[in-house]
Amino acid sequence: MSKPGDLSVIGRRQPRLDGFDKVSGRSVFTDDIVLPGMLYGRILRSPHARARILSIDTSKARALPGVKAVVSNADAPDLLFSDKQPLLAKGFVHYVGEEVAAVAATDPLIAEAALDLIEVEYEVLPSVTSLRRALQPDAPQLHEWATGNVALTHERDFGDPDAAFAASDLVITDEFRSPVQHNTLAELHVALADFTNPDKLQLWTPTQGAPMYQMALAKAFGLETSQVRIVYGNVGGAFTGRGRAKPHHFIAALLSRVAGKPVKIKATGDEEFIMFRGSGETRYRFRTGVTRDGRLKALEADVTFDAGAHAEWAMILWLPAPYLNWLYKVDAVRYRGRFVYTSTVPKGSHHGGIFGRLSAGWMQHLNHVAEELGMDPAEFHLKNAIDPGHHALDGSDFASCGLKECIDRVVERSGWKAKYGKLPPYRGIGIGIGAQASGGKNAANDTSAALLKVADDGVVTLYTGIPDMGQGSHTVMAMIAAEVLGVEPEDIRIVGGDSDITPFDWGAFSQRGTFTTGNAVKLAAEDARAQLAGIIGTLLGVAATDLEFARRRVWVRGEAQDAPGRSFSFREAIGKAFNGVQGLAIMGRGSFNSPRPSGSLAYSFGAQVAEVEVDPESGAVRVLKVTAAHDLGRALNPLAVEGQLDGQVFSGMSQVLYEECRMDGGQILNPSRLEYKLPRTYELPEVEYILVETIDPYGPFGAKEVGEGPIVVTMGAVANAVANAVGEMVPQIPMTPWRLLRVIRHRRNHGLAPAD
Amino acid sequence: MKKGFITLHVNGDAHEVLVSSQHTLLDVLRGKLKLMGTKEGCTTGSCGVCTVHNSRGEAVLSCLTPALEWAGQSITTIEGLEKNGRLAPIQQAFVAYHAVQCGFCTPGVIMSAQAVLNLTPAPTEEDINDGLAGVICRCTGHIKVKEAIRKVGEFGVGP
Amino acid sequence: MLLPDHDFVKPATLAEGLAVLRDATGDVRLLGGGTDVVFNMRCRLMTPDTLLSLKDLPELQGVAVLPDGSLQLGAACRLTDLVASPLLIARYPALVKAFRAVASRHVRNLATLGGNLCLDTRCWFTNQTKEWRDAKGPCLKTGMDVCHAIAGAPVCVALNNADSPLPLIALDATVVLASSRGERSLLLRDFYREDGIRHTAREPDEILTGITIPPTTDRLVFLKETARQGMDFSYGAIAVRADGSGHTASRLRIVLGSLTTAPRLLIGAAAQLATLGLGDDGLEAACATLRDELGPLTNLYSPAAYKRELARILLRKAVLELRQGS
Repeated sequence: MSKPGDLSVIGRRQPRLDGFDKVSGRSVFTDDIVLPGMLYGRILRSPHARARILSIDTSKARALPGVKAVVSNADAPDLLFSDKQPLLAKGFVHYVGEEVAAVAATDPLIAEAALDLIEVEYEVLPSVTSLRRALQPDAPQLHEWATGNVALTHERDFGDPDAAFAASDLVITDEFRSPVQHNTLAELHVALADFTNPDKLQLWTPTQGAPMYQMALAKAFGLETSQVRIVYGNVGGAFTGRGRAKPHHFIAALLSRVAGKPVKIKATGDEEFIMFRGSGETRYRFRTGVTRDGRLKALEADVTFDAGAHAEWAMILWLPAPYLNWLYKVDAVRYRGRFVYTSTVPKGSHHGGIFGRLSAGWMQHLNHVAEELGMDPAEFHLKNAIDPGHHALDGSDFASCGLKECIDRVVERSGWKAKYGKLPPYRGIGIGIGAQASGGKNAANDTSAALLKVADDGVVTLYTGIPDMGQGSHTVMAMIAAEVLGVEPEDIRIVGGDSDITPFDWGAFSQRGTFTTGNAVKLAAEDARAQLAGIIGTLLGVAATDLEFARRRVWVRGEAQDAPGRSFSFREAIGKAFNGVQGLAIMGRGSFNSPRPSGSLAYSFGAQVAEVEVDPESGAVRVLKVTAAHDLGRALNPLAVEGQLDGQVFSGMSQVLYEECRMDGGQILNPSRLEYKLPRTYELPEVEYILVETIDPYGPFGAKEVGEGPIVVTMGAVANAVANAVGEMVPQIPMTPWRLLRVIRHRRNHGLAPAD
Repeated sequence: MKKGFITLHVNGDAHEVLVSSQHTLLDVLRGKLKLMGTKEGCTTGSCGVCTVHNSRGEAVLSCLTPALEWAGQSITTIEGLEKNGRLAPIQQAFVAYHAVQCGFCTPGVIMSAQAVLNLTPAPTEEDINDGLAGVICRCTGHIKVKEAIRKVGEFGVGP
Repeated sequence: MLLPDHDFVKPATLAEGLAVLRDATGDVRLLGGGTDVVFNMRCRLMTPDTLLSLKDLPELQGVAVLPDGSLQLGAACRLTDLVASPLLIARYPALVKAFRAVASRHVRNLATLGGNLCLDTRCWFTNQTKEWRDAKGPCLKTGMDVCHAIAGAPVCVALNNADSPLPLIALDATVVLASSRGERSLLLRDFYREDGIRHTAREPDEILTGITIPPTTDRLVFLKETARQGMDFSYGAIAVRADGSGHTASRLRIVLGSLTTAPRLLIGAAAQLATLGLGDDGLEAACATLRDELGPLTNLYSPAAYKRELARILLRKAVLELRQGS
């Protein structure tokens, strides 16, 4: 922790600055917005997993009074969602739910009635709706360019894996599977588009990052990026689910262009499961080579992804390759991955991304390796964990790394040593570790920019494009600016959520918000402070750098904070600038981009221990406690950090134990928040938080991400705890009662103890 | 009746609204009365973001009840919890204890929490679990939500 | 999404309501709290011409003790009020537990006893939006001669997922069905039919007005197994009633719910326990009858093998709880 007196705002338990609005119902979300003349849009979706479209007749729909636009591919043949994918189905449909046509009408009921009037003739074709089927040699080929239904492959070797495996004393292989999963965020997908003016597309929608939406929509509609405006004042959760524009955004824009009015499209409860494009069925094969004394020689992961009907987000495919390098010292790493087409909803990502569900399997696998060696898994992780300054095989650098400290702290706080291997039958304890990049250079830049102005009354306005999806980014940015300027967070007003107004910011994903935008805001505040300090310094005859800013005052270092004539309140100081000879309106700007050519500047690390109880009769699991340590560099706002840990522990345990889209021939059987199971109030474990602060040299005030690192760790810890309780690796998530009963019965029938 | 005027008393104000049998209470609150604090969420009654209070201060799901059932009835929405711009203790607690993150479910969660307190001013863990089982808060995992309610229950007033 | 077009009728008395049913030319759906009906209407699974609101009918309210000690519960009683009823808490805590197990407080603050008793059967091939059902194709419940849950099933196998019927059946409760033709009583256990479509004995012109529970001091246990506690339909549930005490009982009623299309009375298991006692031998013998007494099970919401397992687990746990209680 920082020394007392070093920082006055940073590190404070700061309640949300927009809390008043949120708890009183004043915060405006996209569906709360009604624009003059607004129409209601609905999408006609394919009822077939695979079919040829023989004809589409929209004439009856167009004739319905109140209908102002009806579109199908014929009305917009050049409109592409991605390179290989028309926005509205052309010639073929490839999954149940694919967008075939859309209507906009003056009333939601008329829009619904219009959908019924669109006549589509299909010729049903054989489909493949599971990964297993898609990979069979006699499976129908879904796309002409993809033999064996393999859309993409990705292969990376770091070091010499073959040699490393050959030199290993022990090589263990395990297989694992994760299902189709979804994000049950509170605010369902919604897009309100106004494309009345052909030179300007305006879109109100919750997003994690405006630029990606701008660029995609601009490209599709033949506009410049700045001709697309995204407005996203309040975002009702994102959890990796709002990083890319989805078809409904484009369709709302198209309908608006055709109708000449704003159009709102809003997901119905089950339609959201299609619109969202969550994670797909995934199969993993982990292989690890170690020496007899427990040193890692080689790590290998082979991952097969169900990409759905279109490979919409190829980035998921290559993400595991670097991840395998972020935790351990190892001689070699191998990654093999492939995207496979199936006749199902195109897949993307969801909370925890690929790292989370990979961890649920990988951590169990590594636990298995440790057990084969007769080693305590915590010791195994410690023995191989990276240290600060580590340079990984993939080129990643870890200036700060508190992984070992996290492991030590959770081992101590959870009573690990007294419990591991010593619990009564069907009680389990498990450990997981993980890492997460704080931003990353995937494109030319990873830039965030910020602007700051100080009014003559001392009130500061901060313009930032970083969305606040609940993680508290706006409050943290205000804290950073307040710390630098020496004022209070409530003196900072945030103007955000509008790409027309705010400076460039890629957004809040890849956990870049606190790190990258935080740095930009810090620079902007420092710029403003330097201008002010220049004027005050000249006034007092001291160097600008000799001035201190804190507690809403400006004074000369070494002198009294309230020295008469030698110190000012912040507001007075601003007045000196504004009312002085220059009449300076103080404005600060900052722009931050990682100086690295690729990869990240900083990584967060975590270790968690979970304790569970399994009912051997029913297979039900109760999570008793999660002890969570996270190296987040510095906790800028510990209150918000705890909130992040809470939500991620909840989500992580939910995915390991409950969440699954049950599939039937390409349709989701449980597309509702009732049947897509999540735990609720009764299932919450006790959570203990341990914040490890390694003060990263690159993060603002040393901070790194905490927005998605913990859930990755939780998934490994809970998975291991259940495996520990039942006595062997559980090869699939979610670990539903019937799956656990199968393991328990199998072990009983073979005379194996529950936990050995 | 397929369509007709009904009087709804919302947050102490009487409203005469033209309502159809096709409307749920939520449709009327948002669509007709423009009270946007109450949200539309899952539309299946399982997420709780549409929670309002009936005349007894009990939590009800406004998306699952026909509007015409509420003719002449009193309802409280999130907008009705504050008094003269001063937040209710539970609202203050939600801010102080960080029981709010993205805020979309917050009106529904707060109405559910207030309903628990209306029934039992000093709720037990079981009361809180039972009263909040009908809402989903993805961001907080319900953890600080429960803490905020506990604190109001213990101390009786806001922080 | 708005509800489909329909006529909303709110009679002031039972007689008025029965007259509406008598004179109706179209399809009339009875409305209690709406927590099931409104949802199904939004999905266009139910598209009645008329919605008949019953929840405020004066004749359907209240909990009363009859001269012979029976308890009479009005069909329009809210589940929330039944959960809080001192009379019920004192006499039948297991019944209160079943009421309390329904969904969530939010739902129970609207939902009625009658609505829960008449809860429509559920199947994940039909309890979906219209678009979903159109994509899957119609079935027995939605107009075609096909079952998606069990291929070739002659009768709809959708599940009865209601919790409150189970202890009420175990208590030998009777329901009162009123129509303009008169009134009749029926044992609740005879009210349900193994038919996912016409799943109760209620005639289209009848209203279930109340339920009567004969007095008893027998032991009663109710258990529900769910994915999570609160706001969940059961994977399986059980109510067991037994006279006697400890390991001895001469008469038992065992009712399983949420595994089959109608609540299932386990006659054979009850007989084994009555003969052999509630100890491990009796339990083993009772469990052995389950396979035959349950018959084929669906994979709806959980695998059939798990349902079978659950039946055994619930029976065991219920009997253990019975043994401990008085």
